[in-house]
Amino acid sequence: MTDAPEQDAAHPVVGLDDVVHQRVRLGILTVAHEARRVEFGYLRTQLDLTAGNLSKHLSVLEEGGLIEVEKGYEGRRGRTWITLTGAGTTALADEIRRLKLLITRVEATVAGEDPAGR
Amino acid sequence: MTTDTASVGGDPRRLLSDVRALAHRVRLDQRMTWAALLVLAAATLVAIPFDWFGMRVDCRPDGGCTYARRGMLFYWPAAMVLAYATIAVLYVRAARARGVGARVLPYAITGAATTVVFPAAWLAVNLYFRSNPYPDQPLPYWFFVLDRLVMPWGMIGVALLVLAWLERNTALALFTGGYLALVLLVLPMSDGFGPPHFGIRAGMAVPQLIVGAVLLLGAAGFALADRRRRRTP
Repeated sequence: MTDAPEQDAAHPVVGLDDVVHQRVRLGILTVAHEARRVEFGYLRTQLDLTAGNLSKHLSVLEEGGLIEVEKGYEGRRGRTWITLTGAGTTALADEIRRLKLLITRVEATVAGEDPAGR
Repeated sequence: MTTDTASVGGDPRRLLSDVRALAHRVRLDQRMTWAALLVLAAATLVAIPFDWFGMRVDCRPDGGCTYARRGMLFYWPAAMVLAYATIAVLYVRAARARGVGARVLPYAITGAATTVVFPAAWLAVNLYFRSNPYPDQPLPYWFFVLDRLVMPWGMIGVALLVLAWLERNTALALFTGGYLALVLLVLPMSDGFGPPHFGIRAGMAVPQLIVGAVLLLGAAGFALADRRRRRTP
């Protein structure tokens, strides 16, 4: 994903990242971004997921280098903390930007206009 | 949120609205506004005896008096650092217990940095009037507002504005606006209420008591709102 002008002129859908453009994973990135650092249990509650399901999505994001997972203990209780990486922050910002562009396109199409002026 | 992959032609508007709602929920869970206000209220109320007993009052036979608020000068720098450290610890602990990170550090740093403003202003004014005569005419109104702003209660308001911005907390921004209007424009924070109703010490204590009560009421209001929100499913 680049910010090259020729790509910006293309439909915003072209640049969507499959790893990020998914409801749960987008939710994970959003929560991690806002929270700075988020605990596994908090994510599970907020996104209303099972532990297994959440783990799968976290693995996808970790493999993509978008988050860092840190496991530790607080007392006897094991806790897993998730932090957004720099690449994760960029990917989230890019996804939001493309979603906004997509909305603008859809609205323009509904209104019978071509936002690119073509 | 569901586990479905968002289809390209799906509903980007709903995705964006979900993202915003999630971000808002996280911000609410990171807040501990009531704790910050409670600590600041405590610091303000504890300051009163320091100001009362630390004040040097010299009265002349003609009835005129001069005073020096030494107690405040020694109390507030230490109290501010301690208060902001306490607020930071409370925020971090609460956020960690809830499973999120805290965004209080810039506020605590701003608050602690404001510690130096009051002694620095006091020193600057003293040095100035040592080599310059005190003006015969009444000082302009802006001077009193500026004087109140650099005092600890004004600085508390300035730091609270930073917290409101960090937390995107509109309610706190409105509360702080009202608070700053009170300490800068309404209450005589620097010269106190005068005779015949109050002596010098009591005249200085009453505005501080009002500020402490306002902060305390603010803490109670935010705590109540927070509790109500957590109870709502």
